[in-house]
Amino acid sequence: MSATDTAPVERETVKITGFWSGRSELVVSGLVLALATAVVVGILTMDVKGDTVPGPQFFPTIVAVALYAIGVLHAISVIRTRRFPHGGGSQSPDVSSDMLAELSHAERAEVYGRRGDRPRAAGRVRLYSDWKTIGLVVGGVVLFILALPVLGWVITAAGLFWVICKAFGSKRPVFDVGVSLLFSSITQLAFGAGLGLSLPSGFLGGML
Amino acid sequence: MDQLSHLMEGFAGALTLANLVWVIVGALLGTAVGVLPGLGSSMAVALLLPVTFSLDPTAALIMFAGIYFGGMFGDSTAGILLNTPGASSAIATTFEGHRMAKSGQAARALATAAMGAFIGGLLASTLVVFFAPTLVKLATEFGPAEYFALAVFAFVAISSVVSDSIIKGLTTLCIGLVLAMIGVDDSSGTTRFTLGSQQLFDGLSIVVITVGLLALGEVIHVASRVHRDPNAVRIPASGRARLSLPDFRKAMPAWLRGTAFGVPFGIIPAGGAEIPTFLAYGTEKRLAAKRRDQEFGTTGSINGVAAPEAAGNATAGMAMGALLALGLPVSATAALMLAAFQQYGMQPGPLLFERSGDLVWTLLASLFVGLIILLIINMQFASLWAKLLLVPRQYLYAGITVLSMLGVYAVSSSLVDLWFLLAIGVLGFVMRRYNFPVAPVLIAVILGPLAETSLRNALTVSEGDLGYLVSSPATIIMYALLVVAVVYAAVKHSQTRRAEREEARLLEDA
Repeated sequence: MSATDTAPVERETVKITGFWSGRSELVVSGLVLALATAVVVGILTMDVKGDTVPGPQFFPTIVAVALYAIGVLHAISVIRTRRFPHGGGSQSPDVSSDMLAELSHAERAEVYGRRGDRPRAAGRVRLYSDWKTIGLVVGGVVLFILALPVLGWVITAAGLFWVICKAFGSKRPVFDVGVSLLFSSITQLAFGAGLGLSLPSGFLGGML
Repeated sequence: MDQLSHLMEGFAGALTLANLVWVIVGALLGTAVGVLPGLGSSMAVALLLPVTFSLDPTAALIMFAGIYFGGMFGDSTAGILLNTPGASSAIATTFEGHRMAKSGQAARALATAAMGAFIGGLLASTLVVFFAPTLVKLATEFGPAEYFALAVFAFVAISSVVSDSIIKGLTTLCIGLVLAMIGVDDSSGTTRFTLGSQQLFDGLSIVVITVGLLALGEVIHVASRVHRDPNAVRIPASGRARLSLPDFRKAMPAWLRGTAFGVPFGIIPAGGAEIPTFLAYGTEKRLAAKRRDQEFGTTGSINGVAAPEAAGNATAGMAMGALLALGLPVSATAALMLAAFQQYGMQPGPLLFERSGDLVWTLLASLFVGLIILLIINMQFASLWAKLLLVPRQYLYAGITVLSMLGVYAVSSSLVDLWFLLAIGVLGFVMRRYNFPVAPVLIAVILGPLAETSLRNALTVSEGDLGYLVSSPATIIMYALLVVAVVYAAVKHSQTRRAEREEARLLEDA
């Protein structure tokens, strides 16, 4: 027998405080329009070689036009309807859950669990994403890239492993140091020595 | 029978000790990532793509095929035992599967699922063996116009017809197309969108894009919610899979029905196994209602487990055929396998059977070997696999992050690639945060160059006459099907949007 018990859900409340509530997705519209502009700049500054017709600017032009159209449409749809995240469901946007529900004669809620809590006009306002944890992960990766050529694979990879563990809420930092070093050494042995990938050895390489 | 003698030669290749080891490694890895929610076979292939550079192509591809099938076997285990499907292709199985587990029939459900995946995969692989030459013959008649139509079909089907939102699907599709255009244009030699960087002359590496989107993007996304979402308390389950003869007889028709749903979706680029598995589940549900089957929806019916599982693996099996014979990837994992072929300088499609016949038939034979191995490891050790869920989450995601770095660095020992990886990873996170589908990016990146080249070739041949693009029956059929599907999807989507807008309006008033 088995069971999955979910801990009581901490209610996530959303408060409409102004224009930007539920409209942060406009950031994406902006990015899409910026990308379209970057493509246009790229097309205009392209140093075209050869005289094939249609040339190398043809396909990018189609994509740029499409990007502008999509960016504008997306912005309009976000401005018309505020969007709030639906809690931490396992819903994948790759396949429409409405369509799956219809195909299987089931309710939408049955397909992907219940939708997140409806936004309410009261309660504590909290950002949906946990920027502190994101910062730890991204910062860890940045430090990893900077330190890799200096410290070498074993130490830097262990450091990255440890930082991610910490970010994900590990409660045994000292034990994690061991796990991290074990993991990075195993990857060095398996992929470096075993499969012959070249991994930087760093200053340790000079000593050994 | 030509195919049979080819297949026998393939078995001779697949049953060598080295290749057997790779099949087993693939099957084990695939089952493991299948069992673990949040990890999928596409992520596993993306992470392994760069580190298999030094392997023999046959060995690497055999392993990837094992991972693809293994993911399909493993994803239902956690779904049945713990109600946490390991991947979206197992959601349909989980409905009835977990009901069976709750009523004390976990062993029956696991056995039905494993057997269903085996039968679906077996029948689909057999079909591939016999129909691959026909598909190849069909594909040799394809010109640039047909290939362009095929690419457009895949683009639109995956980005608009099946995804949650047409606008979002098209957005990520276009982002993928832009990523694919970076680098030197093959037909004219023009450098495009490299921002003057020497590093980008060969384009953004496919490894950087896939690892960034599928692995690092997922890690950042999980990090953004890990302290917010409730943790499911997981109780590992026990139970060895077994199946009695009456059960076997009862499930047989459902396995076959499921396979029938799965096979066509191996050729239609509709994002993989979700649609056929749900179709199969829906059919069983209707049949159960008609037969007044009391088990369905209460204590769980084995038919509700059997059909979706068979459908899922039948899709995976057939997808291998479409990939090898047409060069058409129907799902994210298939797209990655296509990237793997390209990494070894091979282009799946009609020519592959001529130029690398040995490899193709060894690969096809290894599918059968892999299925048998998967059946054994999933039937006998289901509860052992479920123990994987006890691995602390932090170690899992820390491991994925380190392996992402390793893989991307391994491609060209370049630190610049790691910065690109981080950028793509952040992009992947933003896409997940705002519910943008990831699959269209992968399809666009991998089929984008084909679409562009075939469009330009077609227009060169026809001297700019757009009518040439729709001048053959094959292209007309593809575009017509696409129009019907898009119109239908647009109507459905607009209904949903209207409902959402109403909901939002209520909020504003409140």
